[in-house]
Amino acid sequence: MSGTARIVLEGIGVVGGFGCGIADLSRALAEGNDRPGTLSLSTGSGPIEFPAFRADTSRLKEFVPARTLRRIDHFSKLALLGSHLALADAGLAETEHERLGLIIASGYGATGITYAFLKSFINDGDICASPTYFANSVHNSAAAHISIVLGARGPSLTVSQFDLSVPSALTSVRQWLLEGRVDRVLFGAVEELSELIGYAWYRQRGAPRMPMTPLWTGKETAIPAEGAAFFLFSRTEEARAGYCTLETAVTGSPANAGFPLPGDGLLLLGADGRRETGRRYAVLAENARIACYTPLYGSMPAGPAFDLASAALIIKEGRIFPSPGDASLDFPATIPAGGEPAGADRISCLTLAGDKAYGLTTLGKLPGTTGECARED
Amino acid sequence: MTTVEKLKKILVEDLNLQELSPGDIDENAPLFGEGLGLDSLDAVELIVIIQKRFGIEIQNLDEGKAAFQSVHTLASYIEGRLSGG
Repeated sequence: MSGTARIVLEGIGVVGGFGCGIADLSRALAEGNDRPGTLSLSTGSGPIEFPAFRADTSRLKEFVPARTLRRIDHFSKLALLGSHLALADAGLAETEHERLGLIIASGYGATGITYAFLKSFINDGDICASPTYFANSVHNSAAAHISIVLGARGPSLTVSQFDLSVPSALTSVRQWLLEGRVDRVLFGAVEELSELIGYAWYRQRGAPRMPMTPLWTGKETAIPAEGAAFFLFSRTEEARAGYCTLETAVTGSPANAGFPLPGDGLLLLGADGRRETGRRYAVLAENARIACYTPLYGSMPAGPAFDLASAALIIKEGRIFPSPGDASLDFPATIPAGGEPAGADRISCLTLAGDKAYGLTTLGKLPGTTGECARED
Repeated sequence: MTTVEKLKKILVEDLNLQELSPGDIDENAPLFGEGLGLDSLDAVELIVIIQKRFGIEIQNLDEGKAAFQSVHTLASYIEGRLSGG
């Protein structure tokens, strides 16, 4: 990449428990609205209901004809909605997508349709297993649906690395753009809270309780979630409207490689109330200037993409949003109050996975902006 | 419920034709292309559905092609097979 070329984030499309579209996320961040919906399940011991962040895809009919959607499952609908919202946000909904690459990240993938296919296979035999269910259960199917509907002719890829799916996929986003393989990359993270995932969550962690307090890292407070967060990235050497730049995206192990925490920048933690990673966030973010917004969109492997959207909004608006539940902090760190100036030119999003691995994505202010990015629309 | 009525209901529900109700379907209209607008993946799905719902396996391609002209021809084919024809 030449000295002046940069990767610019041009548009964001989000759907989750907070609502649909970047304006809804911005509102939830400003108001600290952390009220989830509910998930109802049938179990061997009777029906249960517990808090969960559910996403509504009804706005998809604004973009895609109902007939086109009839064979598309909930997971792919989330992806389709996120991708259309991101393109519309960038003002590129009607553009040709000849050299548009597509990268999707998901920890679980399309579990609802995959298990519906297995159920049809088990109940009706291999001869009568649904071909439509099978087609939708293939791992890259959401990317295929998006490519077909958009007429995108670039490469498409689905990355699944559980908690590190987002930062891992972002390394490919950068690579494709730096290589000049495509002109733009539509990148999105998707997670579906199917009945199966809800049941597995309930069996492993029990019914979650309100509120979610991820900065109280010694306590299990995670609430399961679903949603999609999509981003339109492009490489440019010219001034281009957008939210911010994608500076770096790395994954690694702090034990082996040290840990490249930003100096005076804001560190956005992906802590999501799960006790197994909570203490590690506390150790790594000790004495840092931090924020955490997971109580607004819940706990899911795609969560780091919502962190990314939140960081982009902070850079665009030049002010920090309040961290919900910031009073429940059990380690030494600085949490800026809501409305405080963003301060430094960079924000890093930290994601931890398992015992050792991490992902760190850094966004930067667009050159020539003073905080709020100039938008053409 | 007649076989034609059953088939219309199955088409709407199992092929997820959300914009139609069973009463909207013309039993003599072509299933594929013009008419109901089904495609090749629907054809495969329909073969599976007929086996599952009626216990009829369609193996002869020529027979299947004739049966899949419309709801009416499909209903006649199913009734013929069920009565041992």
